[in-house]
Amino acid sequence: MSYENWINLIKSAEKASFLSGKNRKIHYKFPNSDEMAEEYSMETGVIQRRAWKKRKQLMGDASWELELGEPIPDQDPRNQTGEELIKESNSQPSIIKRLTRKNIEWRIRNLPYPIDNYSVTADVEKKALVVRTVNKKYYKVIEIPELIRCGLAPEQSLISLHHQYNTLIITYKKPELLVEMEVETLKILKTVETETNMDDLLQGLLGK
Amino acid sequence: MTDDKIEFRDVTRIERIGAHSHIRGLGLDDVLEARAVSQGMVGQKDARRAAGIVVQIVREGKMAGRCILIAGEPSTGKTAIAVGMAQALGSESPFTSMSGSEIYSLEMSKTEALCQALRKSIGVRIKEETEIIEGEVVEIQIDRPATGTGQKVGKVTLKTTDMETSYDLGNKIIECFMKEKIQAGDIITIDKASGKVSKLGRSFTRARDYDATGAQTRFVQCPEGELQKRKEVVHTVTLHEIDVINSRTHGFLALFSGDTGEIKQEVRDQINNKVMEWREEGKAEINPGVLFIDEVHMLDIECFSYLNRALESDMAPVVVMATNRGITRIRGTNFRSPHGIPIDLLDRMIIIRTIPYVEKEIKEILKIRCEEEDCNMHTDALTILTKIAHDTSLRYAIQLISTGNLISKRRKATEVLVEDIKKVYSLFLDENRSSQILKEHQDEYMFNEIEGVDSGAGGDSGSIMPKQEAMEIS
Repeated sequence: MSYENWINLIKSAEKASFLSGKNRKIHYKFPNSDEMAEEYSMETGVIQRRAWKKRKQLMGDASWELELGEPIPDQDPRNQTGEELIKESNSQPSIIKRLTRKNIEWRIRNLPYPIDNYSVTADVEKKALVVRTVNKKYYKVIEIPELIRCGLAPEQSLISLHHQYNTLIITYKKPELLVEMEVETLKILKTVETETNMDDLLQGLLGK
Repeated sequence: MTDDKIEFRDVTRIERIGAHSHIRGLGLDDVLEARAVSQGMVGQKDARRAAGIVVQIVREGKMAGRCILIAGEPSTGKTAIAVGMAQALGSESPFTSMSGSEIYSLEMSKTEALCQALRKSIGVRIKEETEIIEGEVVEIQIDRPATGTGQKVGKVTLKTTDMETSYDLGNKIIECFMKEKIQAGDIITIDKASGKVSKLGRSFTRARDYDATGAQTRFVQCPEGELQKRKEVVHTVTLHEIDVINSRTHGFLALFSGDTGEIKQEVRDQINNKVMEWREEGKAEINPGVLFIDEVHMLDIECFSYLNRALESDMAPVVVMATNRGITRIRGTNFRSPHGIPIDLLDRMIIIRTIPYVEKEIKEILKIRCEEEDCNMHTDALTILTKIAHDTSLRYAIQLISTGNLISKRRKATEVLVEDIKKVYSLFLDENRSSQILKEHQDEYMFNEIEGVDSGAGGDSGSIMPKQEAMEIS
């Protein structure tokens, strides 16, 4: 029931931080050589993206995996050769996770069925939310790493559901302990020196 | 029907080429006692019992760098015992078999070849999490462009009991789907990283689609939950494979072309450290296997001294050697030593001796070979053959089985009779009779006037070699 481990992990990491546009980006390198990158909005102080690069054991480089936020479209033409092995068709449901100050939010696009088709339950054993559909078209186990980090189990009463524009929105109210953990994390990040982006600096100079 | 039968025969033929293909294991019971005739092994009870203990050592995986020598007269079952050990170990433990003369190659040095063989005999089991897609195929659609060339477009819809999703297929994976002949109603898994598609079976709900199904068709339940799962898979690779993949000059393609060349010692050191690290973290398990070197007297003094050192390493496999030589010259020196192996290496070994077969055992072996070669032999013929084997050699008698079988088939008989054996015995000479003829008719052969040069070298089998060596030294 505490977030000590997480705070220790953050403290143990080699951190680097810089500003880019309206975002502050932070890169963590953990002692076990995993990497994490975060992107905080400068306006709201809320985290917008977090991605992990977990090292692989045998052969091949690890790739970044998004934990939350919108995926960045891959603009590298080398990766757009159509040589992907298999990928979900773009008409299929896709899930995006977002954090706001008070809530954790998931948006599942491309789900045209009415609201009474869905049921979202908090599965204490799996430490996850389970999305089910009555017509058996969609099923998803959503893990909530934030809750695991502070040792909390998901609670049914904190879940609420909306459905509009073919999108199912699941909102989970942040428990107090989680809010506290985020504040503590931000306090640590305050001490990390931030490099200024040269572009911003130049623009500032040109403006004068 | 007849077509089927022919096809079946073709497949089994391929497996029967080897001289030791009838061996299925060491033929030991639970307490490692040798059964008289079991798993294709006959006699040699002591040697088999000893080999069983070696297998036990390897299975426990605690011992590194043990060395075992199987010594015995020609055709007393040394290679058979090694093959039996390999079979008893199963496919999980790596078993590398090589002949002593294999290390002499122009492409790489002798010690490199030995080192690669040693590292091929050590397996590493690595656990890794991969993402897979597992589900029942609802619909599969592969479109070819009308012109006949160009990229194919594919789409597949998969479902579990809880959900359904359709996927776009890339060009490579379409090939995999076509090769596996995936169709609606199959339960498949796709490895997301490598694109490997494998068929688990057919869905139970589709069991009544066809009136007749092949005997191999397996029916499985439709999976539950999400289509994409994370699953822990276990890779078993050998140290040599990791070496090749990580040696920068070649890359993993060298594994398929076989052209690996020499691998730098630094690469090997790095990999050893890495594997040790994984082992401490509990991510990998080391699975030491067996390196079998047949005709070990063909190795030279450099190889023996290399082996001396290599066996000290804690990553060394159990090395089993076999030789049929008595006291003979160590290759590359002028010294003679038991089995042609230096005394200091012999000192590190435990020696298993095989003894010549008695007549009864020879009969059993011939019987097993007859069965293996699908040959129906009359009891009298078998007795004659046993006599021949006893007087000449077991290998010669085994040759007579298949040739005799052919002769009997030509006269449309179902059984090989005594006269068939007589006929092949007169048609094909054994070593004794052949050398007898040579002695009698030596004058009629070519170049018989050049003589007396190597008669001075004595009865050593490698009698031409000493002269060359002597020339080099002087």
